[in-house]
Amino acid sequence: MIPEIGYFALVLAMALSLLLCIFPLWGAHTGNLRLMRAAPSLAVGQCVFVLFSFAILIYITLADDFTVAYVAHHSSSTLPWYYKVTSTWGGHEGAILLWLVMQSSWTALVALMSKSIPWVLRARVLGVLGFLGVGFMLYTLWMSSPFERLLPYYPVEGRDLNPLLQDPGMIIHPPLLYMGYVGLSVSFSFAIAALLTGKLDNTWAKWSRPWTMVAWGFLTLGITIGSWWAYSELGWGGWWFWDPVENASLMPWLVATALLHSLAVTEKRGVFKSWTVLLAITAFSLCLLGTFIVRSGIIVSVHAFATDPDRGLYILLFLAVVVGGSLALYAARVSQVRSEGRYQFFSREVALWVNNIFLVVATLVVFLGTLLPMIHKELGLGSISIGVPFFNQMFSILIVPFALLLGIAPMLRWKQNKLPPLAKKWLVILMATITITAAWLFGSFETVAPLTFVASALAVWIMLSTAVDFAQKVSTQQRLSEGLKRLGLSYWAMVLGHVGIAFVIAGVTITSAYSVERSVRMQPGDTASLNEYEYRFEGVKEIVGPNYTGHAGVVTVLKNNEKVTELHAEKRLYNIGMQFMTEAAVDDGFFRDLYLALGEQLGGGAWSLRIYHKPYVRWMWLGGLLIAFAGFIVLADKRYRKSPSKGNQQEATS
Amino acid sequence: MNRKLLGLIPFLIFILLCVFLYQGLFGNPRELQTGRLGQQMPSFTLPDLMSDSKQWQESDLLGEVYLLNVWGTWCPTCVAELSYLTELREQGVRIIGLYYEQGYDPDFGDQFDINKLRAEVNAMLARTGNPYQFNILDLKRTLALDLGVSGAPETFLVDKQGKILLHHTGDINQRVWRAKFAPKLMELTQ
Repeated sequence: MIPEIGYFALVLAMALSLLLCIFPLWGAHTGNLRLMRAAPSLAVGQCVFVLFSFAILIYITLADDFTVAYVAHHSSSTLPWYYKVTSTWGGHEGAILLWLVMQSSWTALVALMSKSIPWVLRARVLGVLGFLGVGFMLYTLWMSSPFERLLPYYPVEGRDLNPLLQDPGMIIHPPLLYMGYVGLSVSFSFAIAALLTGKLDNTWAKWSRPWTMVAWGFLTLGITIGSWWAYSELGWGGWWFWDPVENASLMPWLVATALLHSLAVTEKRGVFKSWTVLLAITAFSLCLLGTFIVRSGIIVSVHAFATDPDRGLYILLFLAVVVGGSLALYAARVSQVRSEGRYQFFSREVALWVNNIFLVVATLVVFLGTLLPMIHKELGLGSISIGVPFFNQMFSILIVPFALLLGIAPMLRWKQNKLPPLAKKWLVILMATITITAAWLFGSFETVAPLTFVASALAVWIMLSTAVDFAQKVSTQQRLSEGLKRLGLSYWAMVLGHVGIAFVIAGVTITSAYSVERSVRMQPGDTASLNEYEYRFEGVKEIVGPNYTGHAGVVTVLKNNEKVTELHAEKRLYNIGMQFMTEAAVDDGFFRDLYLALGEQLGGGAWSLRIYHKPYVRWMWLGGLLIAFAGFIVLADKRYRKSPSKGNQQEATS
Repeated sequence: MNRKLLGLIPFLIFILLCVFLYQGLFGNPRELQTGRLGQQMPSFTLPDLMSDSKQWQESDLLGEVYLLNVWGTWCPTCVAELSYLTELREQGVRIIGLYYEQGYDPDFGDQFDINKLRAEVNAMLARTGNPYQFNILDLKRTLALDLGVSGAPETFLVDKQGKILLHHTGDINQRVWRAKFAPKLMELTQ
């Protein structure tokens, strides 16, 4: 009975969503304020029912109700309670319900926090969000209900959650990613509402900016955590694989990054209007496309999701309606848009425009690398495979001009600049960059390849030029505290974001260039050395977990004959699926990770072990966290809570 | 007018993309269009799985139509298809095994124990039935690489002159056999 209540709650939510889609849009079209006023309460109402339905799914999972197919396939009675909760989004049906939870919550939030927006725009934004809600709810109810029963023959025990997903990183990775994806639907709705209204002025950009920033922050966080999870759980020390599913999350991130910068220009200067709208549409379209790629199984991926052509067809149809519809609307309205601002070539506008070009090219690279094999085959040209080298090469080429520009662009003013004074400053920074990079690399490592030097210099360049710009902005006032106070929150966000990128570049470069690994066969008492560390294999002990058994290889790590740490690299056998899982042991540090994975038992008490030394690998995730934090900072910005009539009183810093 | 056309470009690109996505939905991404089709079996000299003295070469296989089945006892799908393959052998289909060993990794200085493997294979085939005329042991996976094998099980149909006619990825069952292999085999025997 209880699962049916969950299903019924979703039906009610969909009915409310349908009304949310129809009433406000119709009201905005006919100028009927009463219809428009219905939007916020409908938005909150549908959210309540979706949350209720999700709570029921959690309840039946905790109660081990294996008559429900979803619970029987993705949970088991021996699973710890917290993994039972996360198993509600470990499978397809539950993941889509989680998506709905996010979608309806964002919709409700927009309804509650948009009181100062004119009714016509507010009603349209909510109406578009309602339409998206209906699309996903119909999909859930029709094709992928997590409440389906296995009656009358149901198992007494569930099939357990995929052991790969039994990890703290996996508890938060999907919700964060979905927060980002769905958050971009808010930017999308603002863009569509603006197109429908026919008023592409900077008002919509101003309203859409904080939502976009936050969604982008979540997306960044989701990708970062996903990378960290892969590193700690997959057992071979990789952190990014250019797998289609990863690419599916990277593409919206790249476009959303472009969108953030473009929104800034549109808000401050009233230019790039139609381009910004197109980016907002594209960012969310890529989220939908990513979902389609992941869920339809048209591309081979390491992420084995259940695939089903019917479901794929529905998502494709939905994609076609949403994206095709909005691009058609875009085509119809774009010719009416006129730019207001004037600017010269050497200006912040152009710098941000070039930044957008780089980000869009990077997106295209990922897009082609992901989809070209399929298109190639559909054209009858045979199977091809595009792998890691392609992406790595393209990105290492693109990053150079991108990072150079990233360093100097914040120092440019709007409209126009004089080159000579700036050029002098840049030259000084460049010299300092080369000196510092040389001191850093030659001081820490024995050999330095030219490419490693260039890439590391890019990180230093960004750091230094951001620091110089920061110092100059602060020093405009006589007192330091005054100077700091005058910096807007969006300036702080920019600084954090750019420093974060510098950390990511440094981390990726150093860890790619200087990571070393060794595969060794060890008997208890044997030692192996890697870089300045000695690894002494103490032996293997049995371990028993709640739903697995296994072995832990105990290794003492020594440096100059002093004990640094003791690592326990585990190999687990999960009881129900009889799957082996590697749980790598990591000693993390700011400057290096020691990473140990236990391999096969080789007979005679010997085991195979893989030892990795990964310098600076943390910097990547630290950078990711900084970037994400940059996205969340704007939440504190009072500027976005004021009514539009008061305008921008604060200094424009973007 | 120009601006209008420009605005249409994203829409048109999207429509084109949808066509491909729609087609892709009904294709199988794991099905490989191998470059080996219509070509000769690559040349090789590899030992027999069961006998130390016997070496096989591509010329030994000429003269009769056969299936080359890539398999290993470590691969559950391969084990699952063994009994159906045995039925095929009883119907007179000539099947040659290409044994693909997975557990052996020279990186660790592993000692490869051929007797243990033989015992394992014998035990397995005693349970499921033995579909193979003989098995070729491809320990270093050279022949598998030349054939473009991406995993196990995979099966090739080769004609009397040593030409590769089919490359199937995944298990062979009655449905696959009737749809894919049987018609080709009929053509060859007529």
